[in-house]
Amino acid sequence: MILDRREFLKTSLSGAAALACWVEIPALARAKGKDELIRRTERPLNYESVRSTFTTRITPVERFYLRNHFDIPQVDVAKWRLQIRGLVEKPLSLSLADLRRMPQATVEAVLQCAGNGRGLFTPRVPGVQWRYGAMGNAEWKGVRLKDILQRAGPKQDAAFVQVQGAERPVMDTTPQFIRAIPLRKAVHPDTLLALEMNGKPLAPNRGLPLRLVVPGWVGDDWMRHLVDIEVRADEPKAFYYDPAYRFPVSPGAPGAAIPADQMKPMTKVNVKSLIGSLEDGQRLRAGTQRIVGVAFSGEAGIDRVELSFDSGKTWTKAALEGPNTPYGFRVFRHAWKAEPGSHEIACRATDTAGLTQPEVPVWNPGGYLHNAIERLRVEVQS
Amino acid sequence: MIRALLAASLLLAAVAWSLDTARADEAKTASAPEDLPDDPARPLVQGKCTLCHTADYITQQRLTEPAWQRTVDKMRKFGTPATDEEAKAMVAYLARNFPADLPPPRSPRAPLPPGSVSRK
Ligand code: HEC
Repeated sequence: MILDRREFLKTSLSGAAALACWVEIPALARAKGKDELIRRTERPLNYESVRSTFTTRITPVERFYLRNHFDIPQVDVAKWRLQIRGLVEKPLSLSLADLRRMPQATVEAVLQCAGNGRGLFTPRVPGVQWRYGAMGNAEWKGVRLKDILQRAGPKQDAAFVQVQGAERPVMDTTPQFIRAIPLRKAVHPDTLLALEMNGKPLAPNRGLPLRLVVPGWVGDDWMRHLVDIEVRADEPKAFYYDPAYRFPVSPGAPGAAIPADQMKPMTKVNVKSLIGSLEDGQRLRAGTQRIVGVAFSGEAGIDRVELSFDSGKTWTKAALEGPNTPYGFRVFRHAWKAEPGSHEIACRATDTAGLTQPEVPVWNPGGYLHNAIERLRVEVQS
Repeated sequence: MIRALLAASLLLAAVAWSLDTARADEAKTASAPEDLPDDPARPLVQGKCTLCHTADYITQQRLTEPAWQRTVDKMRKFGTPATDEEAKAMVAYLARNFPADLPPPRSPRAPLPPGSVSRK
């Protein structure tokens, strides 16, 4: 009944919608649903980008997913300080102005939640049931972490860099969100403390005022509202580093528990591709259909994206757009001559290191790093 | 001309209003899958399990009873105040209402929450 009413509203209002082109009316803008996301959880904020987001190299902030463990912290930018402590010759406490005065670098990189695709695993795995859209590609600008570490002077036995942001759990009994990356990745010239995302200062929900950017690595490491950096010899004993956010050393049987000593921290994300211009179950007209999507890999470029329209029997190379970047999205396009009937469309990316998306994902208890070839079905009408 | 503009803006206001009501209706139905289903144990789960996050964190899961048991154990370690008896009742409720073989719910579409885009 509601659907009927909405259909009625939609059709009878096309004239009004035309008028609204020059008067932006909030309700109409919302009705278009252009900037809407999929709300996975309301508190904390977990919002997934819709599929149609993935047709451009850079993901607009307006359509970029949100992933949180806890509520967003209130940060007073004027009083905010970043501590660098632990195994360093000279501990530092830096203000935002201090960071702005340092040389700035830019890197384009995909931010992807390790749990993107968790909702696609069988047997099912607990956690936010992300499907396709817990990822996005942005241009990040800020200070190289290496420059800051150099100023502090890591001691001889330094091996890990532990990070924590300003957010805290609702109850003290819940573990705080603490992560760490190896020193070797921390001093990579592309690892940044970002002040900007796509040319604008970080919004509160994006990590205001500063977030870690670990290009090619899972989003869990990209700490937001960064306040504390501890240089250490060993890995932290913190829930969100151990036992959480780990991946099996070698795959086990789907659904089977894996011993703790057979689990290791996640690092790089794996090669993946997604068609952004079609929805599963979509009805299309026969004729040329322009298919657009994105592909990326952890620390490699994209060598090729292939499409199949016959349930994986034959594959055709899609055209790749723009330069090959080591961490960003690569847009692919293909003009498909759609003939009447029901078609299964699959896309498969191969990175410059030679790794290809698998037919089936590696099942794991955390539901991480799902990168199996994605298939969708479309119905083409004559 | 002025009358035409007035008529147009009245029409637009009406459109905006009716779309808002349609959306409110839709929100009521669409939010149903995110609500905890009625059941004698519902008040217990509602009271204990929405202290740190909304119920949608729970209602989107489809798990076996052992997996629900592990989840409730984890949430108790995180700070959920519950006796063993209450935990048992909650696991039974969750396994009853969100079993592994139930089709997944449709998550609602929503605009980005405030604070997600910087205006500067
Ligand atoms: C003390 C705060 C707190 C309470 C109370 C709480 N939770 Fe949670 N819950 C969390 C946090 C924090 C997370 C997110 C964990 C993450 O993102 O890693 C979570 C996540 C979850 C998840 C996602 C799966 C997972 O393991 O992360 C489920 C399901 C869940 N909670 C169910 C429940 C149920 C059922 C109850 C009541 C028995 C409950 N929660 C009570 C804090 C709480």
